[in-house]
Amino acid sequence: MAPFKDEQIMIIAPGSQTTLAQLGLPESFTPARFRMRSRMFPASKEGEWEPYKVRRKDKQPGEYDTTSGNELEDDIAYEEDPVSEEGAVWPMAEGRITNWPCFFALLTHIYNALNPTFHTPILLVAQPCWTARDHERLTEFFFEKFKMPAFALIDSATATCYAYGVPTATVVDVGLGKADITAVLDFIVHDHGRIIALPKCGGEAMTQRLLELLNAKKFTREMCEQLKKSSICEILPPGVPLPGTAGAESEEVTNPAAAASTGASASGPGHRIAGGAMGDVPLGPGPGTEVGDGKLDEDNEGVLDVASIVTSGNMAEILAKKEREKAEKAASRKKGADAAAAQAKQIKLPNSRKEKATFMYEDHALLDTLKGMNLSDEKMAEAQATLDEGAGKKADAPAESTVEPTSAIEPTTATAFPVAAKTGPIRREIEVGTERFQAASGGILEKIADGIHRTISAVENVNRRSELWESLIILGNGSKTRGFKEALMATIQTKYVISPSSATMFTSELPSNLSTPAGTGANTPQPQLGPHGVGGPGTGTGVNPLLLAATTAQNPHLQPQPPQSNGMSTPGGPPSLHQPPNMHSSHGQTPTTVRMVKVPEYFPEWKEAGYDEAAFLGAQTAAKVLFIVDQGVSKGFMTRSDYNDEGPRGISDYSM
Amino acid sequence: MAVPNQFSAPVAEYGGDEVSALVLDPGYSTVRAGFAGEDVPKSVVPSHYGLLSSGEKLYGENAVHNPLAKMEIKSPYTSDGIVEDWETATKIWEWSITSRLTGQSENKRNGYVGDKNGNGDGDVDMEAAEAVEEEEKPMGDAPLLMSEPGWAQGKLREKSLEVAMEEWGSPAFYLARTGVLSAFSMGKSTALVIDIGASTTTVTPIVDGMALRKGIQKSPLAGNFVSNQLRLIFQQSPTPVPLVPHYMVQSKTPVDAGVPSAATYKKFETPPTDSFRHFEEERVLTEFKESVVQTWEGPGPLAQSEEHVKNFPGRPFEMPDGWNQVFGVERYKAVEGLFDAKAAIADAESPAPRQDQCIVELVRASLNAVDVDIRANLLANVVVVGGSSLLVGLNRRILNQLEAAFPGPKVRLSASQNTVERKYASWIGGSILGSLGAFHQMWISKREYEEHGTSIVDKRCK
Repeated sequence: MAPFKDEQIMIIAPGSQTTLAQLGLPESFTPARFRMRSRMFPASKEGEWEPYKVRRKDKQPGEYDTTSGNELEDDIAYEEDPVSEEGAVWPMAEGRITNWPCFFALLTHIYNALNPTFHTPILLVAQPCWTARDHERLTEFFFEKFKMPAFALIDSATATCYAYGVPTATVVDVGLGKADITAVLDFIVHDHGRIIALPKCGGEAMTQRLLELLNAKKFTREMCEQLKKSSICEILPPGVPLPGTAGAESEEVTNPAAAASTGASASGPGHRIAGGAMGDVPLGPGPGTEVGDGKLDEDNEGVLDVASIVTSGNMAEILAKKEREKAEKAASRKKGADAAAAQAKQIKLPNSRKEKATFMYEDHALLDTLKGMNLSDEKMAEAQATLDEGAGKKADAPAESTVEPTSAIEPTTATAFPVAAKTGPIRREIEVGTERFQAASGGILEKIADGIHRTISAVENVNRRSELWESLIILGNGSKTRGFKEALMATIQTKYVISPSSATMFTSELPSNLSTPAGTGANTPQPQLGPHGVGGPGTGTGVNPLLLAATTAQNPHLQPQPPQSNGMSTPGGPPSLHQPPNMHSSHGQTPTTVRMVKVPEYFPEWKEAGYDEAAFLGAQTAAKVLFIVDQGVSKGFMTRSDYNDEGPRGISDYSM
Repeated sequence: MAVPNQFSAPVAEYGGDEVSALVLDPGYSTVRAGFAGEDVPKSVVPSHYGLLSSGEKLYGENAVHNPLAKMEIKSPYTSDGIVEDWETATKIWEWSITSRLTGQSENKRNGYVGDKNGNGDGDVDMEAAEAVEEEEKPMGDAPLLMSEPGWAQGKLREKSLEVAMEEWGSPAFYLARTGVLSAFSMGKSTALVIDIGASTTTVTPIVDGMALRKGIQKSPLAGNFVSNQLRLIFQQSPTPVPLVPHYMVQSKTPVDAGVPSAATYKKFETPPTDSFRHFEEERVLTEFKESVVQTWEGPGPLAQSEEHVKNFPGRPFEMPDGWNQVFGVERYKAVEGLFDAKAAIADAESPAPRQDQCIVELVRASLNAVDVDIRANLLANVVVVGGSSLLVGLNRRILNQLEAAFPGPKVRLSASQNTVERKYASWIGGSILGSLGAFHQMWISKREYEEHGTSIVDKRCK
């Protein structure tokens, strides 16, 4: 078999919401070039699937429809709608593959879209909850369907470790509907105690929580979803008071400017706090001078669900109203431009201190409704332009990225095409109060923290546990919400970290302390070798007797006196009886410290985009190593002839 | 069926070479499952389950640790390790296999492979109906090797076979004694296996790969006993030790040793049940056992050298609510009851064990029940396995006591250095046995089961 080249390698990473894929490895690795919503639409013929929503469209006589798909009758045309997700089937739920035909169709679509050569090996990033049989089925599918020369599977946790370049880590992957927590020791996934698909611990849980809180204010699920993704939604670490509550009140009052301008777009460039540093995707700064008039409250009162009004036939009314408002706004903006600019400087209050903030909402439901009304293109554009509050901001490049486009249209965003102007989202500003800080108040942080504790506690190798606690990797698009990682770390800190206490200060085990200083952490200070040090290396403790006396005076029942030399680990005896050095040597509780692994920085594109999808970066690294460097010497992938010999079951010998 | 199925072929023709057998090793605390030939079980799930007030049963790690209101944590086992609730036990075992290994097979044939045959034709012939039925069985495509404790009685064994054949649709089945499998995992065919698990300690004499039934001894002095001892120590300590599980704590604040905790507790509308709390407390106790508890290595009982032990440095432990203390001689006392019944801490609810339940006495009873000629050989091949054998210093104590009790022949004790191998010894032995070529000749095939019924298990799986 001819050796593989960089440009031939194909990587696919399926996820419950987004599937990433790429053909070819660039010189410097970049985030996945191909992003696709993990869904397909049932085609009119049963058992077949379409990548886009196909809508029946009544053709206007004399009009030439460029977007029409397969024409069946004279006056009926079908239109592909790349944005709409009505009736979509999502073949994965919580990482599990729930609809195989649809999933296979999705893979086929991706494969065809990338259009690889025949000499293309495929690396599939496997979800932790896929079973061994799932692996076999996928192997069978890939070989039988695509006839590619080689196939490999890599576990997403392993891939993440590759991306970070650390052999040992605790990988916390927060997805859409679930979180996976994996302890990886020396690049080997620790199966026992692995938390697989912890339900209701992903981004969706946060959206639902927001919805629960904001339901009374007529927020829809979609609004909550976009709110969650906006930069004003933030998760505050436990113990930080919400703005407007007792703890934060005093500061509110000292800043009347803030109160006056609560309508201001929240994310000034200076407001990103640690988010950027933590590797969050930089959420673009909104224009700070844009708003500042008191109109917004009225705007949004009771008219959140524009779509329903439109369908109920009041379209003309609302269009007129909007038109008026826009004009007013423009006028007031002109007037108060200087004042607003001055104000903007004052109100650089971090988001977490503001009681209220607004975000741009892309109303897809409204757009869908409009489309469903069979308007002419012209009218459509007009209605859109009127309803789109964000239109004025289109000129400002940053405004575009205030809210991440939720309908990730492959491979780049729709705005790149001229068509996009027509089908682009309708945006509106929506204001929210302190609910935006409570996305995680449903207990998901505690659940994940507990999961981490269980995962690490299940590692039999007791003295590797502190290492795992000190190398946490939190990733996944569910963890993208601002402040999530910090809040999770703070939760662990307050609940699980063992603090050095007055009694623990003075007890340590000399031999283990020397062998694994990191393992014992703060509990066990380095042995003191001063003049007061007791005994030799065999004593089992390096305690200063004066300090010891001081402690034991407080706790008389303890009375630890200078220990005997035959204390802890008696030498001699058959070798099998020795406690091996990797067992119980540190013999202490964990964690004493918790840390996140430093993000690797050698790929500028990745650095820019953030490392929430680092598993894909790891897959790129792994693909390079497996297919190019190793070329199958260490059986890192399954070739077609292996498959022919061993069948799909052979994959267990090859997957990583 | 359009797709050739390897099980549609006669049993004799299908070789285990292509199909790796499933190995299932159920225990009181966890169920281990995986494919034969692998070095660790892929699936380790808790044997406990959550029972909602609606009657729904929840399985798996994520479910049982979730503090839900009105969820009782239960075990299908009795406290001495015998399956009581077969229906649930079967479900948990099944879950251990389907959740990680085979997956749910409900729509397996709807997928890309099977689309060709399912469509269109209206008449459902018997064969197709049978095929569908077969497909619904979750483990229908791999032979199953299951372990059972050495002291399991005839009826229980027949039940295992029945479940595997009738409910799971296994094409072939074999039942092996955990002791034998543990010996295999250490590469021995003759051994005296001391298996210290969660609910029971079992001593099994094995000669040439056969467990000597009359020599099998069991006792309830095992991991759970040590946990109970710890609970008693905590209760009876001059300042009671607060055993507060993690889920009850909102956040903790560092406090000085021995000072009452200053944590903020979580508020529950309906607090989780007592059984849930008990189950979560076990997590803390496990951590305590791992990081604090130690075995006095002997040779004599701890009582004789307690003064001396008091001089050993203590070990600190912090409870989930922040309370912390250094544990001195107490940390040796929890395990002492495994060796010295008199030293066991007792109260009204948990009476003190009898001396004949202690490990060395079990060994003595076991050896007395077997032929004199093989005793020396067994003593030269003592194997210690089981999760609770990981208690620090336990093996040395066993060796010291065995040497004192049997001064004549040389006592040799082997225990794996690797914690995983020790914990999952019987599964690993099963993995070895299941991947041997000879396994084909051992198992009970579906046809044999249909011919002879459940009684075949006693003839084939000795």
